[in-house]
Amino acid sequence: MTLTAEKPVALAGRPGRVRTFLGRFWFVYAMVLPVVVVLGVLVVFPLLQGLYFSFTDINDNNIANPVLDRPARYEITGLENYFHVLSGDPSYGAFWATLARTLIWTFACVFLHYTIGLALAVLLNRPMRFRTLYRVLLILPWAVPVFISAFAWKYLFNSEYGLVNWALEAVGLPGQVWLGQSDLALVSVVVVNVWLGVPFMMVALLGGLQAIPADLYEAAEMDGATPWQRFVHVTLPGLRTVSSSVVLLGVIWTFNMFPVIYLMTGNNPHTRILVTYAFERFFSGATRDFAIASTYGVLILSVLLVFATVYRRAMRGQGEVL
Amino acid sequence: MRPKATATVAALGLVSALALTACGSGAGNANRVVYWDTSNPSESSVFAGIARECGRTGGYEVAVEAVSFDQALNNYKTAAQGGQGPDVLRADVGWVAQLARAGLIQDLSGTPLGTDTGDFLAGPLESTKYEGRGYGVPQVTDTLALFYNKRKLDEAGVAPPKSWEELRDIAPKLGGDKAFFINNDEYYALPFLYTYGGDMVDTQARTIEVNSPESVRGLQMAKDLLDAGAARTALDQPNSYGNMKAAFTSGEVAMVVDGPWAAAEYLESPEFADPANLGIAQVPGSATPSPAGGHDYVVRQGSDATEAATKFVECMSSTPNQVAIAEKLGLLPTRRSAYDSPAVTGNRMVAAFKPMVDSAHSRAWIPEGAELLDPLQTAFADILAGRKDTRTTLDETAKLYKDTVVPDYAKR
Repeated sequence: MTLTAEKPVALAGRPGRVRTFLGRFWFVYAMVLPVVVVLGVLVVFPLLQGLYFSFTDINDNNIANPVLDRPARYEITGLENYFHVLSGDPSYGAFWATLARTLIWTFACVFLHYTIGLALAVLLNRPMRFRTLYRVLLILPWAVPVFISAFAWKYLFNSEYGLVNWALEAVGLPGQVWLGQSDLALVSVVVVNVWLGVPFMMVALLGGLQAIPADLYEAAEMDGATPWQRFVHVTLPGLRTVSSSVVLLGVIWTFNMFPVIYLMTGNNPHTRILVTYAFERFFSGATRDFAIASTYGVLILSVLLVFATVYRRAMRGQGEVL
Repeated sequence: MRPKATATVAALGLVSALALTACGSGAGNANRVVYWDTSNPSESSVFAGIARECGRTGGYEVAVEAVSFDQALNNYKTAAQGGQGPDVLRADVGWVAQLARAGLIQDLSGTPLGTDTGDFLAGPLESTKYEGRGYGVPQVTDTLALFYNKRKLDEAGVAPPKSWEELRDIAPKLGGDKAFFINNDEYYALPFLYTYGGDMVDTQARTIEVNSPESVRGLQMAKDLLDAGAARTALDQPNSYGNMKAAFTSGEVAMVVDGPWAAAEYLESPEFADPANLGIAQVPGSATPSPAGGHDYVVRQGSDATEAATKFVECMSSTPNQVAIAEKLGLLPTRRSAYDSPAVTGNRMVAAFKPMVDSAHSRAWIPEGAELLDPLQTAFADILAGRKDTRTTLDETAKLYKDTVVPDYAKR
């Protein structure tokens, strides 16, 4: 109250408003400054640099070499990289097909994460024997480093010696080439990613479930609601805040999920998503085509920004504040 | 969903950053040579031992860091770009030209390492050249060969095949697709590519050759072997090399194509407990069917320990040390004088591989050489899986070469 009353006086004040302003708020600014600097150096600067690189032809051979005192020789090429990429040319990663695959991958993974995670969370939320043991076991995949899981699964999916094919053949089904040159490879990496990702969803949703007051269920039960009705009308609305956050996070993570795909299938074009292709251009082989990789980076960021905006608007429409 | 994954990646990044700074700390010391060894686990202890011995007798410190072969090129480039990294790198012959072009390794032509090259074999020496100057010292040389299970071939009453057609014809006697395992990695596609005179590029005429009729015919031969039931492959590319080794060492298949680096591992298996059971012959096909491979020592541009590094490379590639490496690992020396030693010529691996190395198919020693291989991996896997017709696949590869790898080469 007093603050608002005093403000106009300060603004019109004689000793200079900047000084009064700083005099009053210096502490706040001093506290915020390190964060701003760190974010600027670690986030904003590289982001702008990446954006700039996407308009040049920068690569391994024309960047500056401090050891040789060689200056940078890359040139601005305008929108050329974007034309190359957006034309969908296979030499530049077949952008549209890759985007479509990325979307399929993302939505398949997040959908399965969410539904399986929710089912397990509901199960584990009920009092039962060995509940802690089950929880620990279900969180295990999350605790194992991803590359170890990926290599273990790569072995399970081995078309000749893998356990998966062995099990299929044991029940009389034909074995499949899981990680080969077909869309089955995408199915395989989705399976692995779901296996890895469900624990997080489960834990997050379990937290959400425990925050729903028990008397709501009692009241619903008194009114004669069936278990399904209780799930739809009490549980789901009660989880909405948690769900909307974890789904948004899940989409962003999965969209940029690199290790599972790359460690399991390498350069297989059938599992290529936008980030793995950006990585391929940046690191794999000898190309180190920083320009095309940056272009992909900018496009990935743009797609995610559009998605996040639309998603937030949709959530706000439902009364959620995200 | 992965804070976990992000954390892993971040941790890996952090660890490698720390590793890089650790190497960097050695960079300021003119008397300490950091050596990145990319040899495989069964070889690295021998190299490390010789490296330490070189340091001890030469009066400088040597730090050997084992770096995985797959990661070494990238890590080296990132580190060297920032003036860090090892003083000496064991570089694949295909990396030298591109590192030289990027200015990341030293031109050795003015140093004793560059001038005193008369003793080295011509083939390996060629791989150290970029624009007429020498950038490396050959460490070992190699090529691919046909490894076969002698007992199985004897039982079937056949000799190692001289051509792919012959392999196809004798396969039924060896149990059809138990005859041969095709690894669908790109490097193992090269013998097929070369068989009828194909290649990836022609550096003289500056043309892209990967989709030439000869190349198409060569890779089609690999597919034909599968179709004829004369060979098998792992259709899941990531498991391919592992499955090939497993199939061969368990006695499931009779023949594979591999390099001398794999011999040590093969000999550890019960199937080849008697080393005489492991037969080695020239890869079927033309007179020069196999790619020339191997490794070179290169010195990092900007290394503070250049003088010690030079001495180190000199010591590592000296005749006695090459003899020792050949004797212990069966890897092929690059010095002529090393072959005077009975310990070398008496080594079974060396004796078997030497004539093949002499006739190995020289590769395109251009900066883009290594980059040409990546697209070939996908193409070869696609062809073997029967996803696409050979000609179409290779036309696409040629387009990719033209668009992104060697834009100034002519397409056929």
